[in-house]
Amino acid sequence: MILLNGIILGLLFGWLLARRNNRKFAVPELKREWLVWAAFAPQFLAFYYNPTRQNIDETLASAILILSQVVLLVFIWNNRQHAGLLVLGFGLLLNLLVITANGGWMPILPDTVHLLRPDAAPGSWEVGARLGFGKDIVLNAAETRLWWLSDRFFKPAWIFAPAAFSLGDVFISLGAFLFLTALGMEGQIYSIHNNSQGDLYAT
Amino acid sequence: MSHKIKSLKFAAGKINFSHLRLIIMLVTLILLVLGSGAPEIGPGGGIG
Repeated sequence: MILLNGIILGLLFGWLLARRNNRKFAVPELKREWLVWAAFAPQFLAFYYNPTRQNIDETLASAILILSQVVLLVFIWNNRQHAGLLVLGFGLLLNLLVITANGGWMPILPDTVHLLRPDAAPGSWEVGARLGFGKDIVLNAAETRLWWLSDRFFKPAWIFAPAAFSLGDVFISLGAFLFLTALGMEGQIYSIHNNSQGDLYAT
Repeated sequence: MSHKIKSLKFAAGKINFSHLRLIIMLVTLILLVLGSGAPEIGPGGGIG
């Protein structure tokens, strides 16, 4: 949900801006949109879909994570005329850097895992191992490369649900917000016409 | 023609190409964000 907040708020702000300025909400033609779908499909199988993620080898899962994020960067590069997507791409690059530097996984500190899952059964996670079926690996700070880019921020439970997130995630959410907000200012302005009865209407 | 079919035809008529483009763009953006990010969500947090 932490990542989708930027989309929800951006859509709301963009729509309000479009209404305020009598514009249509712009829907741009994104180049090579299929790259996103092609990149996400293996991630869906490796990290989100329970029947498959249990059976995918960890080495393969980490390779999928890195390769799919490289493909997503190619998509961003193809659409770099959108400032919001550039900000999103910067966040993706930060995540990709720290993931690549730590063996293909996003590092998370044991203290953060304690905060995130205070009631986790003993032995359900351990330092040096992947955390569940997600993209994270539990590592001590001393063993973490580029620790400042890891999942080191913590959102407490009273804001919807607890979550640990990285600096890259912040830029990703911000980029999605900026992209959608900008669409509310780029759309065609409604034209006001008179019909045969003299009523005003917009097209 | 039953009232239900008429309602469905009316709803389908309201969804035009630009609406479809907007839905596809939003789904693409959601997939891009989920694929780019790597947050760890606690119990009850759902996806992304």
